[in-house]
Amino acid sequence: MGVTCVCQMPVAEGKSVQQTVEILTRKLELLGAEKQGTFYVDCETYHTAASPMGNQGQQGKLMYVMHSSEAPLSCYALFENGPCLIADANFDVLMVKLKGFFQNSKANKIESRGTRYQYCDFLIKIGTVAMGPSARGISVEVDYCPCVIVNDCWNLMVEFMQSFMGSHAPGLPSVFSNKHESVYSPADTMVQYMELLNKIRKQQQGPVSGIR
Amino acid sequence: MTDTDALRNAKRSTRIDAWCGYTMEAPPVSAMPVSGGTINMMEYLLQGSVLDQSLESLLHRLRGLCDNMEPGTFQDHEMVFLLKGQQGSPFVLRARRSMDKPTMPWHLRYLGQPEMGDKSRHALVRNCVDIATSDNLMEFLLEMGFRLDHEFVAQGHIFRRGSMKIVVYKIFRLLVPGSTDSIEALSLSYLVEVSVVAPAGQDVISEEMRNFAEQLKPLVHLEKIDPKRVM
Amino acid sequence: MSGPGSAPAVRISIESACEKQVQEVGLDGSETYVQPLDMSQNLARLAQRIDFSTGSGGEDEAGGSPSGRDWGASEPEDEEGLVKFQPSLWPWDSVRNNVRSALTEMCVLYDVLNIVKDKRYMTLDPVSQDGLPPKQNPPILQFVSKKKSLTGASHILLKGAERLTKSVAETQENKRQRDFNSELLRLRQHWKLRKVGDKILGDLSYRSAGSLFPHHGTFEVIKNTDLDWDKKIPDDYCPLDVQIPSDLEGSAYLKVSIQKQSPDIGDLGTINLFKRPLPKSKPGAPHWQTKLEAAQNVLLCKEIFAQLSREAVQIKSQIPHIVVKNQIISQPFPGLQLSISLCHSSNDKKYQKPTLEKSSTEDHLYVLEHNLHQLIREFHKQNLSSSVMPHPASAPFGHKRMRLAGPQAFDRSEITSLQQTEGLLEKIIKQAKHIFLRRRTARTIDSLASRIEDPQIQAHWSNINDVYESSVKVLITSQGYEQICKSIQLQLNIGVEQIRVVHRDGRVIILSHQEQELQDFLLSQMSQHQVHAVQQLAKVMGWQVLSFSNHVGLGPVESIGNASAITVTSPSGDYAISVRNGPESGSKVMVQFPRCQVKDLPKSDVLQDVKWNYLRGPFKEVQWNKMEGHNFVYKMELLMAALTPCS
Repeated sequence: MGVTCVCQMPVAEGKSVQQTVEILTRKLELLGAEKQGTFYVDCETYHTAASPMGNQGQQGKLMYVMHSSEAPLSCYALFENGPCLIADANFDVLMVKLKGFFQNSKANKIESRGTRYQYCDFLIKIGTVAMGPSARGISVEVDYCPCVIVNDCWNLMVEFMQSFMGSHAPGLPSVFSNKHESVYSPADTMVQYMELLNKIRKQQQGPVSGIR
Repeated sequence: MTDTDALRNAKRSTRIDAWCGYTMEAPPVSAMPVSGGTINMMEYLLQGSVLDQSLESLLHRLRGLCDNMEPGTFQDHEMVFLLKGQQGSPFVLRARRSMDKPTMPWHLRYLGQPEMGDKSRHALVRNCVDIATSDNLMEFLLEMGFRLDHEFVAQGHIFRRGSMKIVVYKIFRLLVPGSTDSIEALSLSYLVEVSVVAPAGQDVISEEMRNFAEQLKPLVHLEKIDPKRVM
Repeated sequence: MSGPGSAPAVRISIESACEKQVQEVGLDGSETYVQPLDMSQNLARLAQRIDFSTGSGGEDEAGGSPSGRDWGASEPEDEEGLVKFQPSLWPWDSVRNNVRSALTEMCVLYDVLNIVKDKRYMTLDPVSQDGLPPKQNPPILQFVSKKKSLTGASHILLKGAERLTKSVAETQENKRQRDFNSELLRLRQHWKLRKVGDKILGDLSYRSAGSLFPHHGTFEVIKNTDLDWDKKIPDDYCPLDVQIPSDLEGSAYLKVSIQKQSPDIGDLGTINLFKRPLPKSKPGAPHWQTKLEAAQNVLLCKEIFAQLSREAVQIKSQIPHIVVKNQIISQPFPGLQLSISLCHSSNDKKYQKPTLEKSSTEDHLYVLEHNLHQLIREFHKQNLSSSVMPHPASAPFGHKRMRLAGPQAFDRSEITSLQQTEGLLEKIIKQAKHIFLRRRTARTIDSLASRIEDPQIQAHWSNINDVYESSVKVLITSQGYEQICKSIQLQLNIGVEQIRVVHRDGRVIILSHQEQELQDFLLSQMSQHQVHAVQQLAKVMGWQVLSFSNHVGLGPVESIGNASAITVTSPSGDYAISVRNGPESGSKVMVQFPRCQVKDLPKSDVLQDVKWNYLRGPFKEVQWNKMEGHNFVYKMELLMAALTPCS
């Protein structure tokens, strides 16, 4: 895997999420991208159980545990603006053991599922972001496989994204800001997904319920 | 290769097959829960120790008894982290990294309380979770709220016999916390551990382990030692 | 009293110097005395001192040497000693008297015997039955004593002999033991041994080298004691012998062959027993090392075969692999079969008549047999090295790359690449395909080269090649014109399924495994070569090329490839030669003459002017086979020379 950019595609005016996804995928297919099965990225939220005594500072901090079909044997654990741990699938077992300290808020489980496309050196994943049964938004992931240095390929990626996303092509993702010349890692993709999913969750929660 | 080993390998490969099949052939989107991992693994453990001067003869014996693999030495740095809850005993996690093979992943280990169970069992049995992680494990554990309790360097030899792992190592204390540059041996002896990690309920293993321990008998006495009683 | 003049052994005094013997002297000077003996005690003590043998010894000696010292000399001494005894030795008096009288009797007897022996004064004559019994006594006595002494001597001799044989046997036994131990030590250096109970078991399996074959592969070390010591020990005697499992006895090999036609299914699996003559086994048991090595080889062959048959059943191919008894049959190419058979001859079958079968021994592909062995060893090594010791040591066992898969977020392709392993059978089939393709290519080229003399075809095979790929350089030349006609150089890369042809100019053509394709291709290249040669020749001869085409669209259609054509004109421009060469139709050479030279050209009214005479006339075909010259290019050179006017 190379440099990856994850962004949100706004739902087109007067269209449903599903329809917007279809428009996007059709554009990709017209470009010549090949459909290559499906993908998923999921994200579970854990919060510390009932404020431990000595850890006042930790309170309210959320931990996310994520999985991606791209690396099926891996499990990602991360904090907002914190480190991202990449572990093997046994990490999920550990979280079960830790349930006295970290509780999984099932209601906050959010995932993105969709189709995976390949277009020459690019991998494109168009996913429908869903919390429970309802679709909440669209995620677009573009992976330029041959390159691991952001600066070397960012312009190419933007150009490519513009070709099917038009004006919705994103700006430089925040994780890239301190990564210009260093090697891109799969964890950076997960951080982007985490931020994106959080954003979508908050967007929806704000107007819809306003409570947590 | 023993049956359990084969079983485990088979299990693993089928799981991978399942993953691959899953991702390639695009099954229904809501197919399976994503959480993976091997649940309910148990560590069977026997421990003992030898004095430094009898180390060579023990190693010699082990080389004869164990599988013909390239002889392994190791030097690991282990850190023990505690997470204190409001009540009850703290949650202990062990993070280990290889000092001689720094490219290998870190190893995060959870060890449960030893199973009381029946006395006739020959080995200590406890729940265990083995996780391979990236190298920012320490930072992450601290972020999770864990506190570093103690750390040490383990240096020694590792052998394999079927599914059994035999480690003979010496524990070193770190003179400067966090720095493995200056270390000091804790004792004049080597710790000897025979362990097997297997799914729960395979007590045949402990029998096998005892037989093996018998073969080491005059050199080292391996017993089931309850860490709680020692402390 | 053994010699003359020796003192009597015991000197007896009547009174002791001190009445009472001092037992000990105390520190205060007081003496403790031994109580004096009473009469009977004293007697007993003195009786102990009497040396009865002294008297008899003297008698013996005297008897032994009749000419020796006179009898009387010793007697007075004796007498003297005994007389002095008398008063105190009252109870022994009768004994003394009897002894004395016996001595006298004996002396008389002795004298008589001496006299009789001399036979001068007295002779002994046998007498009647009722003769004097004492007369018979002496020979009997002698006989008895002689017999006694003889038995004594023989006894001693026997005892000595026994001890000697014992010690000899012991040293031999020791030596044998030592030999056994040293042999055992040598065995131990090469083979894994362990002691179970009172047996020594060894391991000849490849398990420690990474084999997963379930055969236990145990052999037993036995002491070779059943040897007759009377017979001469054979030179190759070894005190250590090994007992190998019965199913590993004999010898085995794997036979790999590629055959054209599949034989009847009915007799599959029974063919291919030993056809090569078995090496005549030497009398006597072979050395343990050879025995073990042979057994190990049998085991390895069995493992390879088991692995292959397992794969043959598991792998799904378009044409299923057949496993029958000791044979695996696969179809690498249509109409072709690869058979791998396990030939195992156990000792008892050794004398069976070798099955008469003509077809096979020579098509045994030794290379593939060798490669099979190599592959299984690679496989073993992979088994060993795939499970390296975990680092850190607390981590579970497992594939090193597998452990990295999680933390390094391996993607699906990386994970599948970890999983993928090509089986032994697939590899060997690929190798067989390659070998077959290579052989057939060589044959095709050779048969073309021998069939077609002009142009010549040369093949340069590379010495070193991969198991799946080899290459050959094919040059098409004309004899005698190698330097100027180097147009066709082909590099044939022979793979597993196909042949890649690389032209000198970089064009790549991929041919399938079909033999005909390669043959047709080469034929068309050869035909093109002729035209190329004309072009090269024209350059040398100073002729000019007017037109050149590798693929002519006109004329009769060739069944393979296309015809090629060239037209050249002479330096003066008077003549033109046009050549058309097709792979099938062969060459056709036409010469165009200047108009003026053509006699039978009908006079045209239009072309009156002289200048028109320089126009070219019609083409005339050259009867090429009637031309002189040994090959096409030579003929062409002659033709060109003929058409070039000397100036």
